[in-house]
Amino acid sequence: MWLTGPSGRANLRLEEAGFGVGIRMLELLCHRDKANRRETRVLGILSFVHSTVWKSLFGKVADSLEKGTEHEDEYMISEKELLVNRFVSVPGGMGGFNCGTFVAGIVKGVLDGAGFPARVTAHFVAVEGQARPRTTILIKFAEEVVQRDARLA
Amino acid sequence: MIVCVAVVGHNNNPLYLQSFVDDDNTLKFHYIVHCSLDVIEEKVSNSKRAGVNLNETFLGLLYPTEDYKVFGYMSNTKIKFVLVTTDHDLRDADVRNFFRRLHGAYVDAASNPFHVPGKRITSAAFAERVSNVVKTFGFGAAA
Repeated sequence: MWLTGPSGRANLRLEEAGFGVGIRMLELLCHRDKANRRETRVLGILSFVHSTVWKSLFGKVADSLEKGTEHEDEYMISEKELLVNRFVSVPGGMGGFNCGTFVAGIVKGVLDGAGFPARVTAHFVAVEGQARPRTTILIKFAEEVVQRDARLA
Repeated sequence: MIVCVAVVGHNNNPLYLQSFVDDDNTLKFHYIVHCSLDVIEEKVSNSKRAGVNLNETFLGLLYPTEDYKVFGYMSNTKIKFVLVTTDHDLRDADVRNFFRRLHGAYVDAASNPFHVPGKRITSAAFAERVSNVVKTFGFGAAA
């Protein structure tokens, strides 16, 4: 649904663009951070993305980091007003398109470079009391990552 | 003096190798760097077993051979930097500083959007920065 149709190709290209940024961000942040430990746990790398990466990209930490209830390998980072979505309005014809896919690509690049392959997507989530929907980045880790993490626990 | 500097990617693929001595052929340095990769892997997996997860760390003198000394450094993203030198008394702090600047030059080269990660570094600016770091390192050790 997300990868097909006219908006699918646009989503894919945005994600690829973000992926390149993500890998380079990881190299740069690891170099700047003096007393750095390489993250080997899922929770460690997620909190690195949630605070350090977000802070250097957007100047603030992400609004929230949650663990998915249905599946063991799903996590969500939410942002009330994601910068890339703030000033862009999507025409009705391109229903599935979400500019947050660029940020999802960045997250994917960081996770992939650190050794945690995952599928990362961006979704709009309607919130009552707020005119614009909130953006959620959904991270679904690959099978091997979940198994490795269970082994290390 | 420093005879060779090498950068190896996280799949143990060579990204950059530069020798600073004219007479020897580079193949010998390829061989030395290749052997040092094994030593690096052993050091890294040993420290994991000991419970200490060191990384972004200066791995120190890897092994002495003929009249060369080989030093290693690995970043968090598994990029390895190898330094081959003929100097006999090198201060630890000097070598650490050298690797830090090398890492900085590498990060700048990798930030290039046209650079494909995993491919050899072809940037002339990176080669120049490496030569500069090597030149200034020589002065520091001699003093």
